[in-house]
Amino acid sequence: MITKKLSRWVDSRVHAAKFVKSALNHVFPDHWSFMLGEIALYSFMILVVTGIFLMLFFHASSQTVIYHGSYHALDGAVVSVAYRSVLHISLDVPAGLLIRQMHHWAALIFLWAILAHLARIFLTAAYRKPREMNWLIGLTLLVLALVNGFFGYSIADDLLSGTGLRIGYSILLSVPVIGPWLTFLFMGGVLPNPDAIPRMYALHIFLVPALIAGLLAFHLGMIWRQLHTNYPGPKRTNRTIVGSRLWPSYTAKSVGLLLLVLAVVTALGAFAQIDPVWIYGPYQPADIMAGAQPDWYLGWVEGAMRLFPGVNLHLGHWLVPELFFPAVLMPSLVFGGLYLWPFVEKLFSRDEGDQNVLRLPYEQPIKTALGVAFFVFMLVLLVAGGDDIIAVAADSSLVEMRTMLRVLVFVAPIIAAVLTYLVCARMRLKAASSVGDVQEISVMEERPNDSVIPSEAPLRSQLDEAPDRTCDESSEL
Amino acid sequence: MAKRGLRESSMPVPCFFLISLLMMLASPFAAAQVESGPPPDGGAIFADKCAMCHGEKGQGIAAVVSIAGPSLQAEHDAGWVMTAVESGPSHMPAFSRVFSVPEIRAVSYYVSTQIAVIPLTGGDIGEGGKLFRVYCATCHRTAVRGGALAFAGRNAPALTDKSAALVAGAIRWGPGTMPAFPPAVLDDQQLASVVQYVKFVQHPPDPGGNPLKYHGPVSEGCVGAVGLLILIGVAGWIERGGKG
Amino acid sequence: MSENEKRPQGGLSAFLELGLGLLDIGWTTLKFLGTVVDRLLPAKVAPEPIPESGRAADQEMESESQMDRHERWGTLFVLCFFIVAVLGGVGFVIAYWMGVTSTAVLGGTLALFFGGMGVTLVLWARWWMSHKEAVEPRHVLQSPPSEQEDEAAAFCGGAHEVRRRRLLKWMGLTGVGVLVAMVVSLMRSLGLSPDLSLYSRIWKGGQRLVTLDGKPVSLSSLEPGSTVTVFPEDQVGSERSQTVLIRVKEQLLQLPAERASWAPGGYVAYSRVCTHAGCPVGEFEAEQSLLLCPCHQSTFDVLRAAAPTGGPAARPLPQLPLYVDADGTLRAGGGFTSPPGPGFWDIS
Repeated sequence: MITKKLSRWVDSRVHAAKFVKSALNHVFPDHWSFMLGEIALYSFMILVVTGIFLMLFFHASSQTVIYHGSYHALDGAVVSVAYRSVLHISLDVPAGLLIRQMHHWAALIFLWAILAHLARIFLTAAYRKPREMNWLIGLTLLVLALVNGFFGYSIADDLLSGTGLRIGYSILLSVPVIGPWLTFLFMGGVLPNPDAIPRMYALHIFLVPALIAGLLAFHLGMIWRQLHTNYPGPKRTNRTIVGSRLWPSYTAKSVGLLLLVLAVVTALGAFAQIDPVWIYGPYQPADIMAGAQPDWYLGWVEGAMRLFPGVNLHLGHWLVPELFFPAVLMPSLVFGGLYLWPFVEKLFSRDEGDQNVLRLPYEQPIKTALGVAFFVFMLVLLVAGGDDIIAVAADSSLVEMRTMLRVLVFVAPIIAAVLTYLVCARMRLKAASSVGDVQEISVMEERPNDSVIPSEAPLRSQLDEAPDRTCDESSEL
Repeated sequence: MAKRGLRESSMPVPCFFLISLLMMLASPFAAAQVESGPPPDGGAIFADKCAMCHGEKGQGIAAVVSIAGPSLQAEHDAGWVMTAVESGPSHMPAFSRVFSVPEIRAVSYYVSTQIAVIPLTGGDIGEGGKLFRVYCATCHRTAVRGGALAFAGRNAPALTDKSAALVAGAIRWGPGTMPAFPPAVLDDQQLASVVQYVKFVQHPPDPGGNPLKYHGPVSEGCVGAVGLLILIGVAGWIERGGKG
Repeated sequence: MSENEKRPQGGLSAFLELGLGLLDIGWTTLKFLGTVVDRLLPAKVAPEPIPESGRAADQEMESESQMDRHERWGTLFVLCFFIVAVLGGVGFVIAYWMGVTSTAVLGGTLALFFGGMGVTLVLWARWWMSHKEAVEPRHVLQSPPSEQEDEAAAFCGGAHEVRRRRLLKWMGLTGVGVLVAMVVSLMRSLGLSPDLSLYSRIWKGGQRLVTLDGKPVSLSSLEPGSTVTVFPEDQVGSERSQTVLIRVKEQLLQLPAERASWAPGGYVAYSRVCTHAGCPVGEFEAEQSLLLCPCHQSTFDVLRAAAPTGGPAARPLPQLPLYVDADGTLRAGGGFTSPPGPGFWDIS
């Protein structure tokens, strides 16, 4: 009764009935791999809510004070106000440590989910027309998430993240020509910079989350408007969408997923300690610790920095330092490649019109092999980023491990690519041999090169585009 | 000269047994006679049997392989030294059959009063933490679980099971590849502070839960991946039967 | 049209047109190649009809009996989870107000609440909500030509209502250009231009070396195989000034000839800031006299002027010349051999 009255009240003010009806009827395909983006979305929501709590207690100031708080092993230590407020949240505020740990664990899961989601989109070629914009937005969301994660753990001003900031400073400095300018622009040039923490804090709680939220709204709006893709199957074509309706089925599943994401994040925050800044101690310029790593999602850059040999580039009396290649050039190439991928693939593809049915990974052996090779490459770099911890945990020699990783970073992706290609080719053969009993509606034809697409005329063939014309053909604008 | 068998020996057999019995009965008195003599010289025993592994001043000797004699210069606990000498912990041999009880007592007393010159009291844990993060965390890591060193396959050991005396001795001595920290770098009070901090961080309070072996972001990232795998399983359960 | 609205001629505009023309040619070539490949392939079949849409056409994927499953025991099962969830939530509230601070207790009860509720809802969705398969048509995203023409007409019609369009366009571009220039310049307020501190060699000749406590260092302070962190007297604790002072056996040193006098009594001093990524080079390996950086495991040979011997560093640590003054304390004989820390473009 109440809901009906409420909806009538709103409708008479915004003319919503038709939209709400189509919203409730909106179809979402059912597959677990379509929930990866939702896991990321819900992790982001958890980050925002827990972040609001933390925000009310954190003091973003680099001013130094003498610590006389609950943690006696730091009594008399010179710490920043920011660090002290993090200890206060962790040790004095009721449920403060729980919320802080939930926040950090949610960040780790957020990025793992984005990565899994990215892999799914890539492997099923969901970035084809009309979804190229969503691919670009999604990659931008990934970059923003990486950056915000880095800022998030750096504002605590502990020894571990302070070491990371120092390395970040050196990376900025290594950029040719503009390096010193960049460091003075972003960090005021001198380390430790008293403006660093307040600036990172403002970016972390306002600017970057606002950008993420805005881009997310666009990302989700596009999915809503363009309708989600389907895997190939009965009744699933470029002209139809098959799935369950938003109300009540998909709502229940999605809210259920939200609650279970919350449950996992809360359980981690309750039982698994993360980022114990009291053990690391405050950041002081003369302090340094072994076993320092960034959070896992930047581990690939860390690994690249460790594996890349000490090779300077001297251009006359200018210097391109060795840090530039693994820490600036390589990540730029990686992201540049990712951004350009849909457009590069379009050059080699015969797709025409809107692509609303996904391709299975084994139907695109070359692309899948390349994707897996790239993933394995990143994985080796990630492992290299933590190789000193692995050496100590396994009580083995770091030098030998490093040499092995230097070889593996080239060999492993190649082996993975070849294996993947062979597996995909075999699966394609098997699928082709059983093609007769699928699809009463559309006929699957085998293409000689990489793809098996449902045979149908492209959606565009019924339409022509309006002829290209400038606003005013006779006179110039 | 031909050997004479036992039967042909001039000493009758009962006498043989009687003398043995008398000797057995007399031995406690013999021992008592040794005890009542001058007390054993702990310093002499030390120089004779201990200095070859532990150094003349007990400062420690390192060999290329890990069998070495640690520094004893902070071993103030005579009782513990006695136990160590008797039972031989780790690579040290047990001396319970070599020395008598008074000898063991004497050398332990000698070690705890003459050799142990590094004081372990009067430290401030906060000060110790500060110095620890400048000099020690770089090899042993902040939670003293040991660190990987990039040469010769040697890793800085974990200190979680080391006694205060062992740690203090090692800091002054610099065993093996570890540098020594003379009083100009860490005076006695600072050294006691560092040791106090190390003892604390061997078992730090973990208010956040399981410390994941103190491996930092490496183990956190792995656990996060497991969390995602669990959630993928959850998604699989929610959408079981979904064909996409 | 008046003369001042004629399209401007000139080199820049011609250059732009040439560039755009080349790009256009390249793109057209690639597209042509794509169509050639396509023509070699078999033709496609006609599209299939669009099925009926709307909720009424949804197909039930389960039979009635399947929908009735888990009626009794299932209800009990789901209720258990729900009760666990409620107990968890209530437990959280009680524990919190009783002042329990244990993260495990508070978090555990909260996790039980979320988990129990989540499982309840998912089980309900799986067991007691129909699994209907909906099939809806996808509307073609591209608008029909008539609508595209209407859109163009609306825009062009509006544009035609503006007089002297070309002048306005150039004025607009100029305005935006000036605005961008202003905004970019404002960014300078965020930081300073790199100043000379980046190139500084930090130490001045004659400055005393002091430890973190401010105590000076003399020849008897260290034994061979020991190290201490030192600073200039007026910059104790400073990031870039930190210096590592090491004593080695004098006869093992192999410094270059011009630095032979820089190591009195076997004392050598190097910048403690790693030339790779700036971490303090804290680890000292006493047997082979190596300095190691714990961040990326660069190694520097103390006996050979901190030359990099392993790991990713490419440049040696800057060295500080030392001498002993009349009081027996160690002093700097000048600045570092190069600016400390990681390299950058114009470091020399």
